[in-house]
Amino acid sequence: MNSHTASNILFGQKAASSSDGPIISLTDVSVRYRVPQERIGTFKEYMIRWLQGQVKNREFWALNGISLEIQPGEIFGLIGQNGAGKSTLLKLISRVLRPTAGRLVVNGRVAPLLEVGAGFHAELTGRENIYLNGAMLGFSRQEMEAKFERIVEFSELGEFIDAPLRTYSSGMWARLGFAVATDSQPEILIVDEILSVGDEAFQRKCFDRIQSFEAQGATILMVSHSMSTIETMCQRAAWLDHGKVVALGPARSVVARYLGRVKDHEAERLAEESSQVNDQRWGDRRLEIKQVRVLNAEGKEQHIFHTGESIVLQIDYFAHEPVVSPIVGIAIHKQDGVHITGPNTGFAGLDLGRVEGPNSISYTIPAVPLLEGLFHFSVAVVDREDSTVYDYHDRLYPFRIDNRGYQIPELYGVMSMQGKWEVV
Amino acid sequence: MKVQNDPRWVYDSAQRGDIALEEIRELFNFRHLIWQLIRRDILTRYKRSFLGIAWTMLNPLGMMIVWTIAFSQIFKAAELPAYPAFTLNGLLAWSFFSQTTTASMVNLVWGGNLLNRIYMPRASFALAAMGTGLVNISLSLVPLLVIMLVSGLSLTWHVLFVPVPMLILMAFSLGVGLLMSTFAVYFPDVSEMYQIMLQAWMFLTPIMYPETVLPEQYRTVVTMLNPMYHMVKLFRIPLYYGRLPTAFELLTPLAIAIVVLTVGWIVFTRKSDEFSYRI
Repeated sequence: MNSHTASNILFGQKAASSSDGPIISLTDVSVRYRVPQERIGTFKEYMIRWLQGQVKNREFWALNGISLEIQPGEIFGLIGQNGAGKSTLLKLISRVLRPTAGRLVVNGRVAPLLEVGAGFHAELTGRENIYLNGAMLGFSRQEMEAKFERIVEFSELGEFIDAPLRTYSSGMWARLGFAVATDSQPEILIVDEILSVGDEAFQRKCFDRIQSFEAQGATILMVSHSMSTIETMCQRAAWLDHGKVVALGPARSVVARYLGRVKDHEAERLAEESSQVNDQRWGDRRLEIKQVRVLNAEGKEQHIFHTGESIVLQIDYFAHEPVVSPIVGIAIHKQDGVHITGPNTGFAGLDLGRVEGPNSISYTIPAVPLLEGLFHFSVAVVDREDSTVYDYHDRLYPFRIDNRGYQIPELYGVMSMQGKWEVV
Repeated sequence: MKVQNDPRWVYDSAQRGDIALEEIRELFNFRHLIWQLIRRDILTRYKRSFLGIAWTMLNPLGMMIVWTIAFSQIFKAAELPAYPAFTLNGLLAWSFFSQTTTASMVNLVWGGNLLNRIYMPRASFALAAMGTGLVNISLSLVPLLVIMLVSGLSLTWHVLFVPVPMLILMAFSLGVGLLMSTFAVYFPDVSEMYQIMLQAWMFLTPIMYPETVLPEQYRTVVTMLNPMYHMVKLFRIPLYYGRLPTAFELLTPLAIAIVVLTVGWIVFTRKSDEFSYRI
């Protein structure tokens, strides 16, 4: 709850200033797909089947009676399993698909952020491609001329701008595509799994651009399978399942409900298969991590901090059988995969002794030296030799460092060194 | 952020009129895209070739030379004055048709992955193919006029009429191009089949031979039922024949073009909503 309050304070101003009504509104929108029951690959085959009267189309409702309003300046998340209708909803909003029933109103220019370089032509120069890609986004030549210098500057291509794209490195190709796509200053930005592609530098650039869009009050619509991304970046979210909105509200509570459901399914599945491994959690669970909370100095749950603030990680675990001197460890990773640190009770010389039943331990960071970005805590409990994993929660607990509104004299990189400058 | 109250960007799915008409309005909004696509086609075609734009003119000339050598004896060249000019004239119309309809299909499939992400009027690709075709055929008129003069034909003021057959041919090609691209979205083998069909169709159209060589009993069938016969004929009238068309010669291809374009346009726009999950 607290993280939501925090984000409301951060974004509250913007939400209040733009009260012209929703920028996107869907009223009882449904989309029906008609697809052949069997894949018919060739026209010949189709004709044969058609003559035999065997062409059957299967209909299914990719979206079913969706009503939703998104306000200007909002960062809105869409979650749900594959096939739940998330991409269909994005396609509707970007006008690629039309609703079969219901009404959709979009009051602004929509730009997708991804598939960078799609629509480029290798034989054309960077300059020619800028105009071509701009036209695909709906801009005239004059409008693109006004943007041209800025795009060239952002893409750092210099004189290469007049060389054909086939001579570009993939990095240059990506930079140019990104520069064109994001220079358009759309009112609505569509971000589909942005953090799962590209190299680290590219992801960071995407992230920075998204933040600058956010600062300018653009509406951002985001699809991600990473719940922590949705939780930390979005104010509100909708959970889609089988084409319907299952939950709608503050991102944190929607994510919690979604994870709860996923966990229930997971528990059933685990019981059936008695397997104890999944992507982000493994271990034999003799000692089980029950709850991990990210707290501020006052002991309140919080997920957005600024550099220098103190963070307390509170870990509740349960020993199903007596264990002697287990080791509790944590790790911090940045979103792009950089491993920041990995302290544990073993290194710290803290012997937990014999544990049984419920126990709690906390790890306090007095003044977090990290600079802006999205980070995750991992928490693990292992045996004294560090050879058996009891329970490992890999990057399950997100927090964000956001220094807006604070005087932090450092901007670049991962951490603040607390260094001093002196003229000598 | 300044709110751009640009009506281009306000979209209301309930405000949608007829799909076929809507597409025309959207194409107007996206006219810059069509222009850029034409530019792209023309630039990329000539960029890496040594002779560049000259190929547009040399290509049909080469075909003409081959055909003249091969067929002028067979088709009793004596009966047909200036055979090279005759065949080149027909060939230009045919190339326009086969190239633009093929390009409509290829471009739409090429753009498929974009059409899934960004809104663009789907007919942009076919329309751009027509624009590229118009540029090419206009350039090819230069060698045709030269060949006509060399073959001893005289140029008359009727040449000024040539934009009319070109536009009618374009309307017909656009209709066929849209129909074929709709098929191509659903069946990947359509473009292969279409190439074979084009070959057969070309030989059934009096391009390299005058229709008079056809046996009497088949002539009416082959010529009257073949829309391309009327298109080619109309294109030859102001150039090779150096006169104005009769009402029948003008209205027949015009009517065919209007019907085919209307049908193609309606089929394409009706189906285009499905493209984004079919391509």
